[in-house]
Amino acid sequence: MPQIPIIMPQLGESIAEATIVDIKVKPGDEVADDQEIIDVETNKAVMGVTTPCKGKIDKITVQLKETYPVGAVLGYVEASEADAARFAKQAPPTPQREVAEEIPTRADQEVAAARERKTAERDGEGARMGDLPVPAVTKGATFMSPRVRARMAELQLTTADLAGIMGTGAGNRVTIKDLESFLHKIENQTAHEASAIRAGVADAMRRSWTRPLSTIGSSVNLDPLLHDRQSRDPKPGPGLYALRALALALSKNPIAAAKLIGNRVVQSNSIDVGIAVEAEDGIMVPVIRGADKTSLLDLTTKYKELVDLARQRRISPDMQTGGIATVSNFGTFGMEWGTPIPLPDQTLLLGLGAGKKVPSWDEEKKKFVPKTEAQITLSFDHRSIDGGGAGRLLKRVIELLENPKEL
Amino acid sequence: MSITYLEAIREAQAKLLRDDERVFIYGQDVGGTFGGAFKATKGLAKEFPGRVLNTPISEDAIVGAAIGAAMQGMRPIVEMQFADFSSIALNQILNNAGTHYWRTNVPVPITVRLPSGGTKGSGPFHSQSMELIYAHYPGLIVMTPATVEDAYTMLIEAVAIDDPVIYCEHKYLYYHLKADKLPEKGLPTGRARIAREGRDLTIVSYSAMMQESLAAAEELTREGFEVEVVDLRTVKPLDTDTLLASVARTGRLLCIGESFPWGGATAEVIARVTSQGFHLLDAAPQRLNAKDTPIPYHPNLWNAHRPNAQKIATKARALLRE
Repeated sequence: MPQIPIIMPQLGESIAEATIVDIKVKPGDEVADDQEIIDVETNKAVMGVTTPCKGKIDKITVQLKETYPVGAVLGYVEASEADAARFAKQAPPTPQREVAEEIPTRADQEVAAARERKTAERDGEGARMGDLPVPAVTKGATFMSPRVRARMAELQLTTADLAGIMGTGAGNRVTIKDLESFLHKIENQTAHEASAIRAGVADAMRRSWTRPLSTIGSSVNLDPLLHDRQSRDPKPGPGLYALRALALALSKNPIAAAKLIGNRVVQSNSIDVGIAVEAEDGIMVPVIRGADKTSLLDLTTKYKELVDLARQRRISPDMQTGGIATVSNFGTFGMEWGTPIPLPDQTLLLGLGAGKKVPSWDEEKKKFVPKTEAQITLSFDHRSIDGGGAGRLLKRVIELLENPKEL
Repeated sequence: MSITYLEAIREAQAKLLRDDERVFIYGQDVGGTFGGAFKATKGLAKEFPGRVLNTPISEDAIVGAAIGAAMQGMRPIVEMQFADFSSIALNQILNNAGTHYWRTNVPVPITVRLPSGGTKGSGPFHSQSMELIYAHYPGLIVMTPATVEDAYTMLIEAVAIDDPVIYCEHKYLYYHLKADKLPEKGLPTGRARIAREGRDLTIVSYSAMMQESLAAAEELTREGFEVEVVDLRTVKPLDTDTLLASVARTGRLLCIGESFPWGGATAEVIARVTSQGFHLLDAAPQRLNAKDTPIPYHPNLWNAHRPNAQKIATKARALLRE
């Protein structure tokens, strides 16, 4: 009996392909003429593909969730001679291929190879030239035309700024029209010039985010620290304890803060640790040089000076650079837990959450006792250091914080 | 009154002969009562006795003689029977006319009329477009009028210019293209014209393909696209400023030429826009030319060989979707 192909129909203007989302029949099923048997999804809607004629499903040649071009054969219906003949009568004549395409010319032969490569790429084999894989098409969400790039450079925009634009170009790329209409739209919204510090933080965070960042966390008992604090004058804040603990831990294990640049592991000679200070409309990170060699008392004095300068925005750029790690005491905002982002030129960021009283099981007393506990996190560049290394460093910091006499 | 592209060329020559006694026409069968293979000089021999002269069948000799006359202060218009045959005069045109002013400071104000481009059934020796050859060499101006008005004013301008001018008139437009009246004055030589304004895509073309491009642009209007069509008018000099300004408006470029695909005006346009206006492009520039084979006789094959409105629209559609 004749096999009639089930064809991916033209699903609307400018639709070239569709994805199979549901197959409602299986081989052997009896089907009527024009029965919806396959659901396909385009970027506009879900639509049904219907049978070409009455008969029995012979086979379905497509896979769920795969994408096929318009005109692709999705399967076959086995039909009686009579039904098949009726189908042939109804079916539109197959469009004649352009005569031009049938004339092999030298130039065409030249491009034939390229066309084959392109087809291969579509089939998932990847285009190759010589022995190297090459891009076959300039489309897709990440493709940015020279025009779009130039316009972004002119307006000092980064790809992050374009995140909210849904591209209408090939493969959903953002065209210059998409960009211009986006810019036009935001013109009507309330906007003001970002402060220099806001722009600076944005730039630093964007650059940092280009790396594979990870965060681990654990809890730390703050009671020893809070007790120790009472005995000191001036009284250092928990953030400074954390800074001192990190500095001491790193002084024994400086490789943990090393940066990976290309295939080189770059390590600083001095344990300079920054501490994040909230300033109006941004963050400043004054750096304490040689924090491993500075006593907690001196740190407290030094820190106070730096914070005063930072809050007055009088802290100079070189007081904020060269750190190998930073401490962020986000507990001061009442937050218990966070995943802070390390500075772009640093590998590590130690975060300290807010302490709170929790019941803790005391094995000796066989009962719950109150304990001041905080979450402590370490965010790190996973290119430079792994979970194990970061974990050991964080464990050491916790040990020191729970034995504050050593600090 | 309706006037064709061919009649505009005849009218321009009549006016030139009337207004300037230094002008004469030189070519095969242009004199007597024949009036040239395409009748572009019909009646002129009678109206201007002794100034519309028949020549032997030697393109080399025709151009050589015209160069000599031009050096002596005349303004000759040379008619090649077909652009294809001008290849026999290449030495005179390129090596003598093109270089003469630069070697001697004596200008060679000749105008060489090239009946160019394809018509149905004309085959490989009577259909070719030669503008690439002449544009490549220094010292020549290459005109490619696409409208009746330009056919008229540009020929008058060609004779006025002191440099040798290659005037590529399109045979397909001879009878197909009509205008109501002839203008007094056209755009300056070397200035391209925005033949149709648009925002979505710039199609750059010239000669007969400009008309096909306009038809394609019209077709695309129905799909909601506004296509700008730039008529180069002269392929040399090439009006890069107008091209860049248009691409600045649209961000997309498609060049159409009837000549063979290797090199040529379309490639030159893309090279210039890409190097000077890379930042203006929102998609890779494209071009469409005839096929890289000799031009076929059979009308169906000829249709397949050259670009036309439908193929231009298809190409444009793909580019608009990039």
